[in-house]
Amino acid sequence: MRHDRLSGEQGSRRGWWMLSIAGLALLAGALGFPVAGWAEEAAPQAATAYRDLPQLGGSRNIVWVVAQLHLLLAGFVLGVPIFAWLCEVVGWKTGEKRYDKLAKEFTKLLTSSYATTALFGGILLFLLIGFYPKLMAYLSDIFFPSFVVYCLLFLLETATLYLYWYGWDVMQDGGKKTFHIFLGFLLNVFAFFIMVVPNSWATFQASPVVISEGTDLQRAWAATWNPTWWPVNIHRLIANVVLGGYICGAYAGVRYLSAKTPEEREHYDWMGYVGNFIGVFGLLPLPFAGYWLMREVYQYNQQMGITLMGGFLSWLFILQAMLIGVLFLGSNYYFWLGITHRIPGSEQQYKKPIMAMLVILLLCLGVWMTPHSLVASLEEARKLGGTHHPLLGAFGVMSAKMTVANLMILVTFMSFIMYWRAGKEETATWAKMAKSVMSGVLVVAALVVIVLGVWGYFVPAIVRINYFSVAQVLIVLFVMVTITPLTALLLKSAKTTTEMIWGRMPPRAGYALVLNAIMVILLMTLMGYARSSSRVHWHIYGVMRDSSPYAYSPALGYAAAFMSLNTFAFCMLVAFIFWVATMGDKAKAGGGH
Amino acid sequence: MSEVAMLQLIGLGVVGTGVAILLFIQSRFPRVIGFVMIVLGLFSLVALSVPQMASLPPVEEKFDVASIKTANDMAVIGQKIFFSKGQCALCHSIGPSEAARCPDLKGIGAKLSREFMYESLTQPQAYIYLDYRHEGVPKEYPARMPYINKNPIGLTKNEILSVIAFLQQMSGEPITVSPSEIEVPGGAPAVVPAAPAVPGKTPVTDKAKQKNMKADAGLVAMVHGQ
Repeated sequence: MRHDRLSGEQGSRRGWWMLSIAGLALLAGALGFPVAGWAEEAAPQAATAYRDLPQLGGSRNIVWVVAQLHLLLAGFVLGVPIFAWLCEVVGWKTGEKRYDKLAKEFTKLLTSSYATTALFGGILLFLLIGFYPKLMAYLSDIFFPSFVVYCLLFLLETATLYLYWYGWDVMQDGGKKTFHIFLGFLLNVFAFFIMVVPNSWATFQASPVVISEGTDLQRAWAATWNPTWWPVNIHRLIANVVLGGYICGAYAGVRYLSAKTPEEREHYDWMGYVGNFIGVFGLLPLPFAGYWLMREVYQYNQQMGITLMGGFLSWLFILQAMLIGVLFLGSNYYFWLGITHRIPGSEQQYKKPIMAMLVILLLCLGVWMTPHSLVASLEEARKLGGTHHPLLGAFGVMSAKMTVANLMILVTFMSFIMYWRAGKEETATWAKMAKSVMSGVLVVAALVVIVLGVWGYFVPAIVRINYFSVAQVLIVLFVMVTITPLTALLLKSAKTTTEMIWGRMPPRAGYALVLNAIMVILLMTLMGYARSSSRVHWHIYGVMRDSSPYAYSPALGYAAAFMSLNTFAFCMLVAFIFWVATMGDKAKAGGGH
Repeated sequence: MSEVAMLQLIGLGVVGTGVAILLFIQSRFPRVIGFVMIVLGLFSLVALSVPQMASLPPVEEKFDVASIKTANDMAVIGQKIFFSKGQCALCHSIGPSEAARCPDLKGIGAKLSREFMYESLTQPQAYIYLDYRHEGVPKEYPARMPYINKNPIGLTKNEILSVIAFLQQMSGEPITVSPSEIEVPGGAPAVVPAAPAVPGKTPVTDKAKQKNMKADAGLVAMVHGQ
């Protein structure tokens, strides 16, 4: 009965929301309305726990959209400085001015992006205080000292950004350039801590620790050091690098598609390559950070881990596998397009390895996407002999998934190495031996990863989780830290046989870059939903229960509609920021002509 | 029309619009938007094709004084409080656990008197239980015991007595808390357990000395509070 009532209420709210799903514009406009629409008027003496705006789809949905946009923008403004700084350092070290230009081009975006992020942060804060006064009072009581630190960090970050951006042209030579690089480093340090501080609030909600008596600072510090704080910090840091890289790639892809001159095509083709490279660079260690986070979640509270991996959210991880799979395929596809179009004559040479890699990636993706148990009718389950498929069921377990994830990372890494080596001929006397060593390392690593994966079926879960999975991760990391420097050394003295020609990529390369960025953004929205839903009906897990009408987690389909809406809105916002930031350049270029 | 069908229709509409843009518009930027719409629409459609399960909250437990007839009733309520409002399980385990940030409570009802347990919950700094799980000097546990009767946890006397009943029952001990001690709203206040007196143990004032004191097997080592 209660369920029916709830469903009815939810249904009408959702129905209303779906009618208004078309636009954030409506939301933005309606936020300016007088507060006549507050649904819940508390008695003057009673503390209000919740307020609502059902006319706009309900407080939870409004907060969902605004918080998601704020977080995506925050990821963008934290990822771009890392990306820009890396490019500046490369330009500084190699003397290639185009890297410096690229870094500057992206730093220019930061000023307007910061303002937009802060705007959404401000809206979010007001909404949270308005909609969830009890929860916010509780969190403020615990975390007030970190609010002060957060504000200070913003002041420092803003001041550093001004110096970094406005001092770019002035600090170009000698010691001044070194100082400018240092400013960029400092900018990233402050940005990192700006991310770390609010992470403590969010992770405390998911994995709270009991707060005992003490000074305000002691209590805030105790709550900050909760079990998932650092895993989330590291995961988000890497994810921001990935986001920054792929957004740069998507921007380059769009500009490449609409480029009118050969110079523009060359420039944006190259920019797309750099963006994709940095995105892949971050993508490779990201699953390891995710694995660590899940491990900590399980250690903190097994029930929460089960809710995520085996409970109502288990299908979410099939969607995640699909998105990651498309991202891996898209990134590899872009590398392969680069080999065949930018390096004339390479097409035939690399046709077979590319085909082999594609087959491995697709097989791995198939295994990764195999669900653990199938939703089947009683009759179907009887025929199957259970909810596990007799043959494919073996691929649905973690041992198989960890193995294929590691293999996909290895393949992507090798795609990159192949691209790096294409069009060059090694001249070092030890080249043959080095190549044999690299091939040996790769083959042995892949075999060990597979053996451990198969062995994992026959050992207790704790042995697999604590030893086998960790060993697989370490083996893949070992491959990366061995082959990368070896290749770099090998190519240092290599002879270029075919010059790389920029600007010859087909249009589908531009779309591949856009696709990669969309996948990353969708992944962020999906995992945000997972993290939030893993708390089930708690604002603060096990501590403060959500007693609002929205204390339920919606089904995946409904959530996916929101994820798509948020992704689309974020893309439009970023496009707007890019457009605004480059408006002056276009005017200058027009004047110049 | 069901919610899923409605969303599927929207998803198909988004994909269709994207396809139409790609087919009929030549300008690059709108074409990219069309491509993005197709990708997002397809993602939504795939998400709508997997089993749709929402997670509904369980019915909230209320401490209903009228329903308590026996000491066992109190223990049942105490168990619920232990794992929810009381937040005890955030740090304490029942049985050995490497991840536990506080003492293992298995059999605690047999080791401690109810008065001592009451004091541990309401004056947690009076005695501090040290960690003897490892070699060397015993250490304090990472988490500091909060005042259970104060905010943010703020258990009432009735709730604390119920938790004690649960701890005793879980340890296989007779429950010494009686339903007659429950405070009925508006009624006569229940008898609050007297000041702690741990059988066979005297609080020691020298903290440094206490740090080196090892617990007897099965008993609790205590340090006088700060």
